[in-house]
Amino acid sequence: MRKTWRWPLAGFLLGGLVGATFLTVNVVGASSPIVPPARAASFGEVLHTPPLLARVGKAVELSYGVVCGVVGDKPGGSCTPNGAVFVRAAGEAGFRKLPLEPEPGGLLSAVVPAGDADRGFDYYAAIDNGRGQSSTLPEAGAAAPQHVWPLETWTTVDVGAPRFGEFRPPSSVVGGFGWGRGDGALGLDSGRQQSRIGPSAFDVAPDGSVVVLDQVNQRLVRLRSGRKPSQLPIAFAGGEGDLAVGGDGTIYVLEVSGKPLLRSFSPAGAPISAGPLADPVADMVRAGPSGPIVHAFPSEMWLPAGGDRRPLTAAQQLRRAQPARTVEGGLEVVVHASAAEVDLALVRGDRTVRAWALRGPASFGEVQLAEPYGDGLVVVVRLWDERHAEFRVLRLAPGGVASTFTVAPGEWAETASLSRFRVHGDTLYQLRSRRSGAEIATYEIGGKR
Amino acid sequence: MRRGLGTGLVGGLATVLLAVGTPAGAYHTHFKSTCTSGYFNDNPVTRSAARNYAYVAAAEGYQWGGGCWNDNNTDDSPGDPTQDPNTNGEGPDCSGLTFKSWWERSETGDPWFRYHSAMQNTHGPYTAADFKYGTGAPNVTVAKANTVYMDAFASTYHVGMIYWANTAFNQDRIIEAKCEACGSGTWPRTYRGNPDYSGARRLYWSG
Repeated sequence: MRKTWRWPLAGFLLGGLVGATFLTVNVVGASSPIVPPARAASFGEVLHTPPLLARVGKAVELSYGVVCGVVGDKPGGSCTPNGAVFVRAAGEAGFRKLPLEPEPGGLLSAVVPAGDADRGFDYYAAIDNGRGQSSTLPEAGAAAPQHVWPLETWTTVDVGAPRFGEFRPPSSVVGGFGWGRGDGALGLDSGRQQSRIGPSAFDVAPDGSVVVLDQVNQRLVRLRSGRKPSQLPIAFAGGEGDLAVGGDGTIYVLEVSGKPLLRSFSPAGAPISAGPLADPVADMVRAGPSGPIVHAFPSEMWLPAGGDRRPLTAAQQLRRAQPARTVEGGLEVVVHASAAEVDLALVRGDRTVRAWALRGPASFGEVQLAEPYGDGLVVVVRLWDERHAEFRVLRLAPGGVASTFTVAPGEWAETASLSRFRVHGDTLYQLRSRRSGAEIATYEIGGKR
Repeated sequence: MRRGLGTGLVGGLATVLLAVGTPAGAYHTHFKSTCTSGYFNDNPVTRSAARNYAYVAAAEGYQWGGGCWNDNNTDDSPGDPTQDPNTNGEGPDCSGLTFKSWWERSETGDPWFRYHSAMQNTHGPYTAADFKYGTGAPNVTVAKANTVYMDAFASTYHVGMIYWANTAFNQDRIIEAKCEACGSGTWPRTYRGNPDYSGARRLYWSG
């Protein structure tokens, strides 16, 4: 009898020993804290909002904030930055140095006199943090500086009082989804005491189909009229991103968590290329005439990322960075907004072709969209007070507002910051959400693009 | 004999892997075991110092209910199961980052400042909703239109601090711990105009 259990017992003990050894080597080893050494003290970051557009006859103030890298895990992270901006009037060859002066609130600033600003100017800043570390913004300096365009004439538009609650209903709803993982759903990353992150972005392909970035489920969802939505699995790292579809149907997906990365996919969802962005923060990818461009921080420049299978290197992106978004016809769209006013312009080279200044009694929020439309722009801008919000859609013509309407925010779940709207043909598309799910709504803009 | 040995081998292996391997595998980085308990009271503190402190957390991880992070610009515990503080990963959550970056104290009736080491594992007593409603002696509400850098926008489910106000498109760059897949960072956001969010402020900055 003893012989009948002796061998199974020996096997059981041997198996247990093998299992314990396996767990010790693999699980416990993986559980051991692997803490890379803290990075060397960094410069930190230079913060700046480019003015981009300036009234002729007025001086232009350039202000910079400096975030000091902390040395070690202890207080005392302050630093005493100093530096200069280098300014070159449009048409001139050399840059002129203007010292940055300390301002209240820890800002550094310099004033470009009206006479120097009247033709527009290029500029960049070089700042030392007082610890022997320096930073240039934009990073390529004189090779790809920021730019300010002169506003000699512009059309002032009074957007009027907000109509919180009086929204135009959509012309149609292209697709509606619940939250989840199935074929009829879009992913929602949420939970108790946590952000509600839905699909980050969408765009309209040249064939009129809508492509939604369902990054929570690591897939693209394509909506075609009269057909069931199709799902295209993609690689996606991180929690949020943006998406644009090029004129040839190539799909560009921007990952913004961690180090920003731009991936491209064929219309069928096959991976084409992937490459990192030069700047540490990015919020928008758009399809430009020469390939994808990415709006990045802290430069607030548009970085070309490479339109073919070979993404541009970081150095190439920085050297080719543009202060405004290039669109068709050799034009660029320039946006500079504050709570009190939204300035918009179509420019060509150093010349301002057409400009508008939006004003009104309510606070302006972000400019969600500004796209060439006819001989003007179609613009979507948020109006808000402490308890309400709406999106105002404006079709701007050279003489003022050609038409306007108001759209409900529909922002129960977060999208990418500036990816709630897209224009295709004469139609405005909106990615909107509520507790029960998300949908793509359309609105006829009127006029002709 | 061989059949008995083999049966026992399989049984023993399965027993150990199921009994020990399953729970052990769920906690895979144990970043938290490297955290410290370092803190001290400090005064005065400026908004600028608070922003410098918060900046260290940018590009680090996110841990729901968590509170310690290092400075290597890497999420050292990516992909943890969400909504579980026992995953012991790197990073703060949104309210934990705000609490530590605002140099607040765990005693909710005490409005003064306390330096918390980045590697100190503390979350603080406040939720996002607490910041939204100005709960606690150091915290008040403020009109969103009047906010300045290192004030916060808070909803009942999320809170983030103003890192740099008013970008060219009129967003705000927010420093925040966003989600497990997002980590922590300084992203442009539109919380200011979103009715879910209210303005929140820490009192008694010295500048």
